[in-house]
Amino acid sequence: MNQNEKSAPETLLSDWMKTTAEFWGSVTKMWLGVPGASESLTQSEEAIKSRIQESWESTLKMWQSIFLTLREPGGMDVFFKGINAVPEIVLRMAKTGWDGYFHLQQQWLERVGRIGQRTEVYKFEDLDQNVFKAWTEIYEKEFKQFLTVPQLGLTRYYQERMGVTMDKFNLFQAAMAEFFRMLFLPMEKAYRVIQEKIGELTKEGKLPEDPKEYYHMWLKILEGHYIILFKSPEYTRVLSNTLDVMEEFLVARQRMLQDMIQTLPVPSDRDMEDLYKELYLLKKKVKEIEKRVDKV
Amino acid sequence: MESPKIPVDLILAKLSEEAEKVQERVKKASDVLLGPLDTEIATTPYEIVYQEDRVKLKHYKPIAEIQFKTPLLVVYALINRETMLDLQPGRSVVQSFLNAGIDLYMIDWGYPTRKDKYLTIDDHVNGYMDNIVDFVLQKHNLPRLHLMGICMGGTFCVIYSALHPEKVKTLVTTVAPTNFDTDQGLLHIWMKDVDVDRMVDTFGNMPGDLMNFGFLLLNPARLMIDKYVGFLEIMDNKELVENFIRMEKWIFDSPDVPGETFRQFVKDCYQKNLLIQSKMDVGGRLVDLRKITMPVLNIYGRFDHLVPPGACELLTSKVGSKDTEDVCIETGHIGIYVSSKCQKEFAPKIIKWLKERDDLVKEDFIAPKKERGKTKAHLKRPKKVVIESGDEP
Repeated sequence: MNQNEKSAPETLLSDWMKTTAEFWGSVTKMWLGVPGASESLTQSEEAIKSRIQESWESTLKMWQSIFLTLREPGGMDVFFKGINAVPEIVLRMAKTGWDGYFHLQQQWLERVGRIGQRTEVYKFEDLDQNVFKAWTEIYEKEFKQFLTVPQLGLTRYYQERMGVTMDKFNLFQAAMAEFFRMLFLPMEKAYRVIQEKIGELTKEGKLPEDPKEYYHMWLKILEGHYIILFKSPEYTRVLSNTLDVMEEFLVARQRMLQDMIQTLPVPSDRDMEDLYKELYLLKKKVKEIEKRVDKV
Repeated sequence: MESPKIPVDLILAKLSEEAEKVQERVKKASDVLLGPLDTEIATTPYEIVYQEDRVKLKHYKPIAEIQFKTPLLVVYALINRETMLDLQPGRSVVQSFLNAGIDLYMIDWGYPTRKDKYLTIDDHVNGYMDNIVDFVLQKHNLPRLHLMGICMGGTFCVIYSALHPEKVKTLVTTVAPTNFDTDQGLLHIWMKDVDVDRMVDTFGNMPGDLMNFGFLLLNPARLMIDKYVGFLEIMDNKELVENFIRMEKWIFDSPDVPGETFRQFVKDCYQKNLLIQSKMDVGGRLVDLRKITMPVLNIYGRFDHLVPPGACELLTSKVGSKDTEDVCIETGHIGIYVSSKCQKEFAPKIIKWLKERDDLVKEDFIAPKKERGKTKAHLKRPKKVVIESGDEP
């Protein structure tokens, strides 16, 4: 086919583009020529108008030049080739997206797999004693990272403090659960021991007739188990850890609240602490001086 | 072989009998609990004669003719409140002292707020306490007074007496910890591992409720279960219910402890045990126990789980006084003040001991020069008395 011989759709598009370019050109000229359009405008309004006009004219010029380029012989061929390439690009973009998604999903599956491995280490048939250790380790190795991802941008510190608070809260919850679980252990043991004791008394035919005696027996056993527990290094460790994580959570929460308070017209904790310290030192000085004066 | 007999019939009979009793008790209890109850504590009349910041000085109105030349100043701990000494008529150390004709003053430490968190032991002992002692001495135109300390307040009194011996005529310490290097009490074991810096930096003042929770954990079986089971058994008895509620009111009335004071107390006392070694620094001055040359009466409870005997009984062997006495009462930390049996022994013992020393002048109890500086163990065999008392509340 001759280069000058154009196909029907190509001619049609070319004519439409020409008409469109001419139409918008005429409209612009008409607008600019409307009597009173530029009258009774203040100086600043005039400045805004001329900026809009300039912008409109430059857009129109660009549009017209694109149309004119496309109307050049062979221009439409290139345009249609470009159009043909679109599905390929879209597919490529979609593939990249899917790859990322599958990779993420694979990572999650691996993570879940590791969770399984970790719980295995602690043998969940001994669920009661190890579940808290297991959960804390799973949390620290697999979930905590999401809360400590480096934050970006202007609000990064605020987001970071929010993340830290959530992280400390989770650790605090786990520690509290372990602590209370430990406090409950003597109850379980005392219950088992009293059952055994009743069994023995039954065999010996020495079962007490007064139900209160069973309670006192149980209480004594319970007290004994608590004393053993409280003297154990394991309890001291758990107690100390619970206090530590509680304090860490309270500090983190306080920092986050400080951020919120900053926006309110109230003094922050830090402001008050400084004030109290100054007040304390001042009072101490005044009292000393007062005593010296009294002696004089 | 004949199998042992289980007295099921007897057990069931007892159970049904008990169920009937419980039903009857619950009926009466609703009348008692819904009716008017007198649960006021610390009702003995007093007036506030001195106040500095949150700290007040109570002066109890005499109910008998004053029999003592020297007034008695009682210093309570910063933990819980001094109202424990005046829980109810008939069970009031305050009233026993007043009946004996003692001119009685007592420090009310008040409720520390956040602005008090920087107050140290120095501020309490060389500040508030010293100002109060000066006030009382000036009011009575006397050089010295009788000083009595309770628990942590006793520790404060020991520090005060070592730093200001010229103002103290006699020293009475009751359940006052001075030796912290003991494994007898759980508190002593736990405190060794506590990260007190982190705690104080986090909380500011040490929350009273948190400390109370810690005290409950020392014996949860008794303090969190049996105590309330016991209440179910007495809830139809108005008088016993009133007493129980009074005790509950006192126990859970827990002011916070100023942060810096708590920090120093845990570090220097519980963790380093400096006081009993005469190595503790308070306000830039060394607390030398050998400077405690006035008569010392040291009372403690054999079954005290908070301040066990091991934490108290070393004191008399470390002070410089030649007139010392240890009294071990067969009771616990609180029972020493509130149990009805101890009321007949604890306060009378202090009254008698003070009376015997009320007329003494300073020279009577200062050790001869050649003996000064030695510990009491070198001077005289410590006198130890054991008083038996059973009814721990």
